[in-house]
Amino acid sequence: MPGYTEALSTVWDRIRSSISSRVEEVASTYGYLSYMVARYLEILSSWEDVLELLNAFERELPRSIRVNTLRFRNPGEVVERLQVLGYALTPVPWERYSYTVVKPGRVPLGATHEFLLGGYYLYRGLASLLPPVALNPTGSDRVLDAAAAPGGKTTHMAQLMGGRGLIVAVDVDRERFRALRTNLERMGVENVVALRMDSRLVPKVFGRFFTKALLDAPCTGEGIIQLDRSRKVKTSFEDLVRAHRLQVELLRATVESVVPGGLVLYSTCSIAPEEDEFTVAEVLESSDRVEVVDIPLELDLMPGLGEYFGVGLPDGVRRCRRVYPHKHGMEGFFLCLLRVL
Amino acid sequence: MPPKGTVRCRVGGGELGEEVARLFGAGALRALAGYVPMYCWSSFTEVYLLREELLEAVDRVLSSGRVPYSAGLYAGRLRRSRPRFIPSHLLVERVYEALGRYVRALEASEQGVRVVLYGRDILRLSTLRCFEPIEKGEVVSVVGTDGRVYALGLSEVDSCSELERLRAEDVVARVIFDLGWYLRGGTVARERKYRV
Repeated sequence: MPGYTEALSTVWDRIRSSISSRVEEVASTYGYLSYMVARYLEILSSWEDVLELLNAFERELPRSIRVNTLRFRNPGEVVERLQVLGYALTPVPWERYSYTVVKPGRVPLGATHEFLLGGYYLYRGLASLLPPVALNPTGSDRVLDAAAAPGGKTTHMAQLMGGRGLIVAVDVDRERFRALRTNLERMGVENVVALRMDSRLVPKVFGRFFTKALLDAPCTGEGIIQLDRSRKVKTSFEDLVRAHRLQVELLRATVESVVPGGLVLYSTCSIAPEEDEFTVAEVLESSDRVEVVDIPLELDLMPGLGEYFGVGLPDGVRRCRRVYPHKHGMEGFFLCLLRVL
Repeated sequence: MPPKGTVRCRVGGGELGEEVARLFGAGALRALAGYVPMYCWSSFTEVYLLREELLEAVDRVLSSGRVPYSAGLYAGRLRRSRPRFIPSHLLVERVYEALGRYVRALEASEQGVRVVLYGRDILRLSTLRCFEPIEKGEVVSVVGTDGRVYALGLSEVDSCSELERLRAEDVVARVIFDLGWYLRGGTVARERKYRV
């Protein structure tokens, strides 16, 4: 029986045949490749939603910070120091140490003394806070961060773990790894072993070792078009399939590194089903050692897709969650929590 | 940053303790309690402090023929020439916490801290207080009035009393690392970490 990776060629045929004159007109107006808009209509089901999504991608995201309690035990101290510099901050309701910047201060956020002292991590959108919160590691966990650089989620998990337990942070990219190492040091993180290697080799080095794992997979970034407008035109469907294949390999290796009963959080900053539901579906289909479980987040996120261009997806995939800029005020994002059996 | 070339690492050994005791006194060893040092060397040696929870993972990495890029708390750099040991600002803060006082430190004014974070040296003008022992050519920390360590330098004086005869614009310590490095050189640009 052909798998979900193979089904992507059927999907591509159906995408092409769904490109109507309206799709082409909207794509041209907003500056997108037509096939992308055809997919958004399939995912969201209504033109009203598609236009809201495209308009949301035109808006800037507010910057946000996560105060680092590993360096400043009293988060209020960092907030007060930033207020003195002219910043106005509002708390993020679902992440107790994070704040949205509603008014900038006199010094850029990446150049304050508080930043250099490791007082906070700087985000370009709130959705990056979701994966660590969803995985919820504690000080008794052994965590794999399988695509760790530049370290926002690694340092976030270290903070949630109170600086105890273990995180093995793996990434292959040399320049991004420098940023990871620098962020770990700046933020005073001491429960991380950082390894520059291909994450697909992690099971060979560690075997089944980890109680939790995060794979915030490298992706095409189809959820962060606000941050990089070139993404409207730079990704071909072949690029998506290539990304999907790599993501499947990374997710399989991540699952193989986790002990039975352990959890794997798969996420991307993309709303492309090819990188999201199809990746999870391919791994579910080829392994009976893993299942999708509900994500313990008290946020009204959208369920994973049950079907895409006539290709039915496994039931469990609907337990994954989608984040849309026009509905949630964040970057487009995908989250899926898997339990290893 | 791991030293260039073939890097080797080992877990355990007394060199770090010896250097910490030499610089800050035996009481400073309390800052190392609960940790095992890991040394990674090539042309110089980087030292990390590992909690017990990290040891098994590090052992698996080393057994596979790989070395960690970093692990645990970065403690500093051991060198063949003077200064023999450059502690990280994180370690220095922990030492001060363990001792309950500053040693080998210069307390800088707000303006002084601002200038130091641009990589400039610490001048007499900006030095509010000095904490012994201070030795010429040896590591000294630059602390702000908020108690945080903002930079590490090499002292230009042999004791705090020498500050009295310096002019306002005289250099008290030549800065070899400041937190501004995280902005200037810690990510993409390749500014050397220590200017020594």
